Amino acid sequence: MPRRFGRYGGAYVPETLVPALEELEATWRSARRDPAFRAELRRLSRTLGGRPTPLYLAANLTRRAGGARIWLKREDLVHGGAHKFNNTLGQGLLARRMGKPRLIAETGAGQHGVATAMIGAALGLDTTVYMGEVDVARQRPNVDRMRLLGAHVVPVRSGSRTLKDAINAALRDWIANVRTTHYLLGSAVGPHPFPSMVAEFQSVIGREIRSQSRRAFGQLPDLVVACVGGGSNSIGTFRPLLRTPVELLGVEAGGRPGSVGAASLTRGRPGILHGSFSYVLQDREGQVLETESISAGLDYAGVGPEHAYLRDSGRVRYIAVSDAAALRAFHWLARDEGILPALEPAHALYAAVAEARRRPSRENIVVTLSGRGDKDLGVVLRAAR
Amino acid sequence: MALKEGGATALELGFPFSDPIADGPVLEAAAGRALHHGTGWNDLLRACRIASSILPTAVMTYANPVWQEGLTKGLRRLASSGASGLIIPDLSLEESGAFRAAARSNGLALVLLAAPGSRPERIRALAHASRGFLYLVSRYGTTGAVGRDPSVDLKPMVATAHRAASHLPVLVGFGVRDRATAARALSTGADGVIVGTALEELLAKRPSPGDLTRWLRSIAAAARPHRAGARTRGR
Repeated sequence: MPRRFGRYGGAYVPETLVPALEELEATWRSARRDPAFRAELRRLSRTLGGRPTPLYLAANLTRRAGGARIWLKREDLVHGGAHKFNNTLGQGLLARRMGKPRLIAETGAGQHGVATAMIGAALGLDTTVYMGEVDVARQRPNVDRMRLLGAHVVPVRSGSRTLKDAINAALRDWIANVRTTHYLLGSAVGPHPFPSMVAEFQSVIGREIRSQSRRAFGQLPDLVVACVGGGSNSIGTFRPLLRTPVELLGVEAGGRPGSVGAASLTRGRPGILHGSFSYVLQDREGQVLETESISAGLDYAGVGPEHAYLRDSGRVRYIAVSDAAALRAFHWLARDEGILPALEPAHALYAAVAEARRRPSRENIVVTLSGRGDKDLGVVLRAAR
Repeated sequence: MALKEGGATALELGFPFSDPIADGPVLEAAAGRALHHGTGWNDLLRACRIASSILPTAVMTYANPVWQEGLTKGLRRLASSGASGLIIPDLSLEESGAFRAAARSNGLALVLLAAPGSRPERIRALAHASRGFLYLVSRYGTTGAVGRDPSVDLKPMVATAHRAASHLPVLVGFGVRDRATAARALSTGADGVIVGTALEELLAKRPSPGDLTRWLRSIAAAARPHRAGARTRGR
């Protein structure tokens, strides 16, 4: 497992956390070679998680675009309603293997918090989830779900009161309770080994896309699109396709016109945040900016270090899509296909439709639909007024 | 001045960062206020010049502000403003190479931190690589944590560090806030203590210079006479 992706990554953390990160890496190294661990991961992915998820031809959306065919990788059908389960299951099993009885997590949209609460309940681990106060207000249904699943939800009132501050609070809890607690980080960010480990747990998405595309249309897709906040569903989508000719497109949150949005790769520059060196939205002196996106799950000033590397190398193209465009894509999918997408992948959907328009009908585009939109109904209805 | 009178032998100047993960609520709020008032790198340099005219001064901040100033240029400007040391709590030994090289070439001491979970071989490596002193974090938790953690025994850690680098002082911080906590920290064989959060709390009450001196004297009294007293941290 690489500590760095090119110049990006590393582990910039207080010394108190170093032994825990070493223990986590050692446990993960032994677990991934252990047939029993892998069998249990596969079994629970299937029987608890509902994997594999289907690859769906969005025929009506394809007609709307009038070009290349658009396929949806249905991660919204995973247990809990988002791809987050793929990672919480893997890390939950690792926590049990390390003998740690307590899980903590940060959450933005609440999907990772819900997925952690589910795994905490299923594996009998005490679970605490940190969530920015702003996100608690705008993703209320997920707060209720977490509490019903037995997790403690702690609203975070410092800083911008969103995902970034929830990560700060979770890191502080971890520093204080590191001997009994596993920090179940929800995205491919943070100190080594989290970016590598989360990417590997999420790579099931890209592996399924690879085999399902061959079955569905006899070849690999021409273009694969995924949204990028911290970047876990996108890195899981892209990784198994990096050494193929497939074109890859990552879509960040552009926010409102004139705002910085949450587009670290397209509008930020390299810096150190939450333990790794990657692209960060920051001011001239390195103070991290408050981001602004309609989608809580993308509302983050940093991004996983592997994406930073893929951006610089040119292997993946990254663009930003605005709040308004994401909302339009939300309604397209609802009306055309009867699917309510989460606002996060709605950004990717908009970009996919725009790409489909310019491409011939023989081409195939796969979009990772990373989560379902029930949690966003309040935001979407307010925006429609 | 008041702190020097009270027995401080060095000052630690905190430079704010937007995401101070090693700090508890008091220092996080202090950093937030400073940033809200537009505190920047030039203000730090100005404060360094004043502080270092009174006592040896170390700057504590996070890795990103230093990185963004440019390791070479930023550390040169810090050194020429009189700073003698730099403490970066989110800089692990593994990532410290470039920072240590830049500090060395500018005559700045880059101070590394050891923590309760650090194993002996790691403490030895940290003591070998640290300059100025070794900052021993006294407990699991962020700055300003209150209450005793009986599971942590600092004595063997201090001894290991002293054996590994006999000329390097070991200073204990995180949770040292009064005479009793200072005395307990010094009973481990450490060479001094660092007081941060408690000073910040006191400064918020706008104390007179005399109050500051008296407050610090009561803490410094915990220091044994043959070893230097408390190091304090302030804005």
